[in-house]
Amino acid sequence: MLKYNFKYELKLLLRSRWIQLLSLTLLLLFAFSAYNGKQKVEKRISVINDALLEEEESDVMMLALIDSVNQGLDVSVPRWTVPTSPTAIGNYYPRVASMEVQPLALIATGQSDLFTPYVKPRISGDDFALNFTEMTSPVQLLFGSFDLAFVIVFLLPLLIIAFSYNVLSAEKESGSLRLLASQPIGIQRWLLQKLALRFMWLSLLVVASLTIVFLLLGIEFLSEAGAFFSLLGLTLAYMLFWFALAFLINLWVGTSAKNAVSLLGLWVIFVLLVPSVLNQLGNSLYPIPSRTLMINEMRTKKTEVSKKQDEILDNYLRDHPEYAINDTTETRSFWHRYMASQKLVREELAPVVNTYESQLQRQQDLTKNMQWLSPALTIQESLNSLAGTSSADYDHYRKQVVAFAENWRDHLLPYLYNNQEITMDDIVELPAFQFQKRPVSMTATILPIILLSAGVFILGLIVARNLYKGQKLIHS
Amino acid sequence: MILKTFHKETKELLRDGRVRLSFIIVILLLGIAVWISAKQYQSINEQHAFATQTDRTLWDNQGEKNPHSAAHFGTYAFKPKYPLSLVDQGVDKYAGTSIFLEAHNRNEAQFSAAADQTGLSRFGDLTPDFILLFIIPLLIILLGYNSFTKEKEMGTLTLLKSQGISSTRWMIGKWLALFLPIFLITAILLLIAGILLSSLDDFGVFNWSSLLGMFLVYIVYYMVFINLVLFISSRVKKSGISLVLSLSLWIVACLAAPKAASNVAESKYPYPTRQEFAAMVSEDKKQGLDGHNPWSEESKLLEEQVLKEYNVDSLHKLPFNFDGYRMQKGEEHEARVYFKHYNYLKDQFEQQSGIYRVLAVISPYLPTRFMSMSIAHTDYASHWDFSDAAENYRIATQKFLNDNFAENSEYGNWGYKADSEFWQELPEFEYAPPELSTIIDKNKSNLLILGGWLFGTFGLLLFNTKKL
Repeated sequence: MLKYNFKYELKLLLRSRWIQLLSLTLLLLFAFSAYNGKQKVEKRISVINDALLEEEESDVMMLALIDSVNQGLDVSVPRWTVPTSPTAIGNYYPRVASMEVQPLALIATGQSDLFTPYVKPRISGDDFALNFTEMTSPVQLLFGSFDLAFVIVFLLPLLIIAFSYNVLSAEKESGSLRLLASQPIGIQRWLLQKLALRFMWLSLLVVASLTIVFLLLGIEFLSEAGAFFSLLGLTLAYMLFWFALAFLINLWVGTSAKNAVSLLGLWVIFVLLVPSVLNQLGNSLYPIPSRTLMINEMRTKKTEVSKKQDEILDNYLRDHPEYAINDTTETRSFWHRYMASQKLVREELAPVVNTYESQLQRQQDLTKNMQWLSPALTIQESLNSLAGTSSADYDHYRKQVVAFAENWRDHLLPYLYNNQEITMDDIVELPAFQFQKRPVSMTATILPIILLSAGVFILGLIVARNLYKGQKLIHS
Repeated sequence: MILKTFHKETKELLRDGRVRLSFIIVILLLGIAVWISAKQYQSINEQHAFATQTDRTLWDNQGEKNPHSAAHFGTYAFKPKYPLSLVDQGVDKYAGTSIFLEAHNRNEAQFSAAADQTGLSRFGDLTPDFILLFIIPLLIILLGYNSFTKEKEMGTLTLLKSQGISSTRWMIGKWLALFLPIFLITAILLLIAGILLSSLDDFGVFNWSSLLGMFLVYIVYYMVFINLVLFISSRVKKSGISLVLSLSLWIVACLAAPKAASNVAESKYPYPTRQEFAAMVSEDKKQGLDGHNPWSEESKLLEEQVLKEYNVDSLHKLPFNFDGYRMQKGEEHEARVYFKHYNYLKDQFEQQSGIYRVLAVISPYLPTRFMSMSIAHTDYASHWDFSDAAENYRIATQKFLNDNFAENSEYGNWGYKADSEFWQELPEFEYAPPELSTIIDKNKSNLLILGGWLFGTFGLLLFNTKKL
């Protein structure tokens, strides 16, 4: 019987206009979305490269200036930007802290339209006010991006539904079920075979389309075989889940129209409702404190601090006696007072700033625990992670930048308080930002989804056994 | 005939378990959404009032200070939340809420809510606009996909034909049966929102005519969907296919087209990145006067000019402090630079809007979304309006401070401090969003497109009924 089913499905595949249309649609959707993704990624890469290039050029300039000063020459830049001063280096020659673009970044835009791919922390800046957001039209953020993840998570299930909602009911409605019943095969088994064959064909189609699109767009995916296979694994597991649902609904519900309504209802629940309800839940359970009130607090602290800058500097120097010993001139300028005050503000605001981090972390944990309520959500998050554009990735990057900003400051402050000038030798030792990728594993997502699908299949079998027991319509 | 069809269809809908269930779900969701949004609205408004007041107190109590130090200390403009954002949150989540107004720099609005949320927020929030824009059209599809196909499938179509019915009246009956429940849900929702809003203490700019405008926009949007769903149902043979087709239409209109439009808009008329923008601004700033740098060429030029104008030979003899004067001139130059670059951004966005309008041809969702946001004061244009008002206030503030510096001190006296009472003389920042009539005027093209959809689909439906 498998052989007949196989033959029938193959013939259907070759003859049906709908299926040819499906293949074409799939190819076009993948191509359009991958092309969009590629454009965005290329822009990101070029922005980072430009920044690095600019840094290199400005470093050459910096060395030339230091050299001129050392030789006692006049320099043509404003005196507060002459790079022999540590604060000039810290503010006017910052390092680029960029987020490395992952090889498969094109598959999901994730949060990359919301955040910049690099920042340049300066010593005078506030770490908590470091602006990571990108300059994007909010309308674009609202509508989102037509990326591969959208096609896979939102559209692929609909294609599956369109081609599987009436496998059994169509036979019933056209009367050929009775003919089928005369064949020596159980109805569940027959349906399972049909759906398995359709799953196989659609999988082939998806894999082939993705490969073709990637080849056409010249995306290096062979060298990143691991990531590419993860993408395929995620997609196929997700498809399997929807086929399992189709199997269950085909057996459980009745007419074609009812099947379609039920499957589409499930789609709405998994793809639209569960994510937005979970989002609301996260915001209600762990609300992010008001940024407006944070600004108030920051301003109040700064006002307090600015009124007693001298006192703060004295306290600071008392805590750091090494500076008093090393420095014979004991000159104290604006920067000495400013940096000491900034440190105090930072320390005092730390608890407030930490609440943002911790609330966000709690929301993220909630999402992580509840994401199994909707495989669509799971897959979206995994695709984002695979692309290196998920919230967790940006969170990870932000933490690295804040740590680097501290490093940058800590490296330059001793020069400031020792009133020591920066020399050519010191430049080599300036800290540089090194991006660490967040480790991710896709098997942790793929396996549970497959298990979930298996569960749905088994449920389908149980349902069928109960439903058809009494009828004895079909015996195997 | 119209009435009979209407009765029969309504009864049938009421009897269908799935329809009842989805009605209950939609109403439940709407209830939750309205409740959550109302709470949010209230707390944000309280925070806004508190923050504005605290910031003003900080400003007023600066004590004796140099006006330019005060200019660097700056003030904050906090963006208020408008009553109808209860119904449509628009882009509020993605646009910043507070603008730091300081000397020399025009800052972008900071701290958008989306930046503080997880990636989950990109799926959408459970807000009334989510339900109005996405879920209710789905409900229309669910109620109407088999309106005609069931007659074909059950064979009642032949019976009806043999009765010699007028297909137009038959269609109107079906249309009304579909329209009434949708009309009721929308009316009730917006009525509740209106009552809720007018019962709040400070409902500020809320007026019923805006709400009515919004109601009309949504009703037109639903009419378009009803027409399309009925059209599909009357043209295909099977309910299943009708459902799948209607749903594909929904996906294209509500999900795919906006996303595709956003991609096309970005690739054709891209925004500069934050760093590019900053680089362009600082490049242009360098071309002119820097108020802090008395040694630059432009400064010397200004010196000469002013000396000539007042017919004196030394800056000390001027009737005002030249430092303050130069500061103000530098500020004016910087303001022009920002004006130019922000106008470039606005131009880019205008061009992008053109793309959205073009794609509105395949998506009635787009003009509806833009209209609804606009009426609710939660669209991008409202954000621009606010940010421009804040910039004007910033420029005025700088002049206010620099003038004080120039008038009350002599050249070279950087140690000058203004009185501690002086700060209170700065007028407060006040902002009123555009009126409904201005909004309608600005959104003519969206209204036109939406009108085109309405008449086009009605035409399609009427033309089609003749062939039934």
